[in-house]
Amino acid sequence: MDLQRINVKFYLRDGEAISPEEAFRIFNSWIPTTADEILVDVADYSHIAEAQQALLVGHDANYCLDTTDGRKGLMYSRKRPVDGSIAERLRDAFATTLKTCARLERDAGGDGIRFRGEEALLIVNDRLNAPNDEETLAAIEPELDTVLRELFGGAETVVERNGDAKQLFSLQLRARREFDIDTLIENLS
Amino acid sequence: MTEATSWKETLGSRIPEDLGREIDIFETQIGLRQQDKLDEIIFAETRLRRGAYGQRYDNGQRFDGSRTQELNFPEGNTKGPNTAWHAPGMQRIKIPCGGLNCAQMDTLADLAEEYSDGICHITTRQDFQLHYVHIEDTVDLMRRLAAVGITTQEACGNAVRNVTACPLAGVCKTQSFDVTPYADALARFLLGHPDMQDFGRKFKIAFSGCRDEACGLTSMHDMGALAVLREGKRGFELYVGGGLGPVPHRAKLIEEFVPAEELLPLTQAIGRVFARLGEKKNRARARIKFLIAKLGIEEFKRLVTEERQLVTEDPLWATTLEGIESHSEEALRPGQALNGMNHLSEGFRRWQETNVYQQGQAGYAVATVNLPLGDITANQLRALADVCRRFVKDTVRTTVEQNFVLRWVSEADLPDLYNALEELDLAAPGAGTIVDITACPGTDTCKLGIASSRGLAGELRQQLSESFLELDQAVKGLRIKVSGCFNACGQHHVADIGFYGVSRKIGGITVPHFQVILGGRWQENAGSFGLAMVAIPSRNIPQVVTRLTERFVQDRNGNESFQDFIERTGKREFRSMLEDLAVVPAYEEDSSFYSDWGAAREFTTGDMGKGECAGEVVPLAHFELSACEREAFEAQMSLDEGEYELAYRTAFSAILHAAKAIVKTQLLDVPDDADTIVEEFRRRFFETELFFDAGTAKDKFARYLFRMHETVIDDYTQDLAHRAVEEAQLFIEAAYACYDRTTSVEAAPVVPLLPK
Ligand code: SF4
Repeated sequence: MDLQRINVKFYLRDGEAISPEEAFRIFNSWIPTTADEILVDVADYSHIAEAQQALLVGHDANYCLDTTDGRKGLMYSRKRPVDGSIAERLRDAFATTLKTCARLERDAGGDGIRFRGEEALLIVNDRLNAPNDEETLAAIEPELDTVLRELFGGAETVVERNGDAKQLFSLQLRARREFDIDTLIENLS
Repeated sequence: MTEATSWKETLGSRIPEDLGREIDIFETQIGLRQQDKLDEIIFAETRLRRGAYGQRYDNGQRFDGSRTQELNFPEGNTKGPNTAWHAPGMQRIKIPCGGLNCAQMDTLADLAEEYSDGICHITTRQDFQLHYVHIEDTVDLMRRLAAVGITTQEACGNAVRNVTACPLAGVCKTQSFDVTPYADALARFLLGHPDMQDFGRKFKIAFSGCRDEACGLTSMHDMGALAVLREGKRGFELYVGGGLGPVPHRAKLIEEFVPAEELLPLTQAIGRVFARLGEKKNRARARIKFLIAKLGIEEFKRLVTEERQLVTEDPLWATTLEGIESHSEEALRPGQALNGMNHLSEGFRRWQETNVYQQGQAGYAVATVNLPLGDITANQLRALADVCRRFVKDTVRTTVEQNFVLRWVSEADLPDLYNALEELDLAAPGAGTIVDITACPGTDTCKLGIASSRGLAGELRQQLSESFLELDQAVKGLRIKVSGCFNACGQHHVADIGFYGVSRKIGGITVPHFQVILGGRWQENAGSFGLAMVAIPSRNIPQVVTRLTERFVQDRNGNESFQDFIERTGKREFRSMLEDLAVVPAYEEDSSFYSDWGAAREFTTGDMGKGECAGEVVPLAHFELSACEREAFEAQMSLDEGEYELAYRTAFSAILHAAKAIVKTQLLDVPDDADTIVEEFRRRFFETELFFDAGTAKDKFARYLFRMHETVIDDYTQDLAHRAVEEAQLFIEAAYACYDRTTSVEAAPVVPLLPK
């Protein structure tokens, strides 16, 4: 199975803590200051309530302050292929998302922002290779389990597939206890 | 898990053979270009003809607020001159007449999600645009579109672009007949037609069902077909040579009545004449409007008539139109009136007032989905398709005002439809009003953008929405349109209040401005084109709107239209009313003027370095150019007063003086005679290309000077004078840009640059 175009989203503990304008400004500041990947542009869709409201477009991946599912969080969307096994690709997607969440936590002004480490959304942005069905879930599940055990330090997790066949394949992932971003980063390192 | 395969395999015979072949060829060309076996210029035209367009920063450079930064795209070939292979681009998708079915909406949503940024953007010509698309993804994207009957072929490039039509065609109360099947037939007939492949520039066609309403905008297209019935027989009043762009041209009548069966062959003949005689080398003068202006409409008509006789009979002329008179759309539900308004919510009433149009067919209505900035998310679009399945079936269209219309809604269903749309955040009222602002992509994604049209439109939309309920009825009905530059993709010329982006250098820093355009008319198929009044810094544009609308409410005579009010009050008065808004405060006083609406990039102190010294000295060239602006404005006054010769001469004088101001930056003692100014200008700024526009206009503006200097006029028509006034303004803008490019300004002009 050629699982590529993996998206991962972590939600904010307090969605009000950062506005799309603030995220837009921060993302823009990352373009000239990021050395290890090519970031191209920012796009502002804050005029739509449920969208990728502040989008940082990169060559390999996009990052955004996302409210598409009605809840605010940071989403990483891989565009270019990644080598390795499915587990390695998943691990890479989680690690990059977490690293970006941590960067946003550091850069956000005001009282700061915090992400809910215990819940994530996993999407495969590829209807051809990963249609939203049980078959895809069965193919991904064993390797996902391994990664989730590592990510949540063995804590019990619940994996739920979002059922609408027209939507992209997506899984809601929940750990039974709270985590912060730094702990998750450590768990994966 | 489904076995990994390809979209080509998966979709198989769902892709029509001809479209499939076209896409296969494109796939091969991509492969060849990657191996450097296809020239980059040829590849660029190839991809453009498939709608795969460039996007801002694809030259690998981006100004980050303090310096120009290299975007180090991976090594690889180019997609065209100065266009990095790996840079994301824009994909334009043609939707003839804006007509969509639900399956197509689902597919567009999926594509936006998988290959773009989750947003489908509706353009001012009923197309869709997806941004940030990688060239390698375009082939699958095209195949998936083809499988639902959509092609991107000839969506860009020097070809027949999307054929547009009134979104109400077929359900309108004032139409002569439904133009949809004719527009659709012509679009199909011309797609890839050998006679339409050798144009020097694009060719845009629009259809309108009637004369007085605005919808089709036939006067501003390369070819406009207006439906007329003659003794019960269907035909078209046919116009050619219209267009917006930097200098708008009103289309000219070529035939009062083209019988429907003659539409295809006559268009073919027009295309052949354009292909044969139209300009090919100088892009800036290659639209058909220039050919018609050069030949005169009578001569052009004679050539077309002659050509028509030479066109070989094509059986497709008849078969393409077969059964066309019986074309009809089906409603999903029986038409039923909406009886009793008592139980309806305030939100519904407000939405109904602006977003619902009662169809010509009893019991049915058209509902407009008013999109902010023409944007809809993939999830919204997919859900909207389901709403359509519930209420209207496949009778959906996009509009040139960047909205959707749902046709054939049973009136009794309107409250349920409203509730369904509200759940999707798609029930914003105000369609076709002052809050429903049209904007081109501008600096957000367009390579040619000067100012942020979307940023400004978003800001205005928000501010006006907040006060919408309190606005006077007359103000609510006004239309605002914004373009990011003079190319006019936002159609600012035909708005009640239009804006296009320009820039001014203040104290060494470029400050975003917009030219204010007044006098345009949306009604009567783009009945008149507005003219630039004054450049105002972006930050002050909301105040421009407030002042203009308040004055309109205060001084309006009875039911006077906005255009009549502008004309009666006089542009001179408006100019002086807005003059103080043209002042740009020093950076230290208010730095917000130095960044654009919706822009995150601030000017750094490093960037400010040049502008921090003595702020009082205004560069001589700025003084002189602002005097030229006044002259151009005087020319406009003369034009309004019907003094066409004076208008033309004053406009030329403004151009000449602007040229002189520019020459003076190199040669202080420029004599006053026109020949010397033109000669020095040619030598110093034209031959050196210093005056050339950095975008696609290149030498276009400089040539205005040469042409006007050389041409002897014996008939000063309104058209000629109008064009001269437009050209004067554009030449002056180009002079400002040239000056800013070629000099390092030491002083900060913090005084108003408007002449007193
Ligand atoms: S008007 Fe200018 S900025 Fe806007 S889309 Fe056209 S070329 Fe680009």
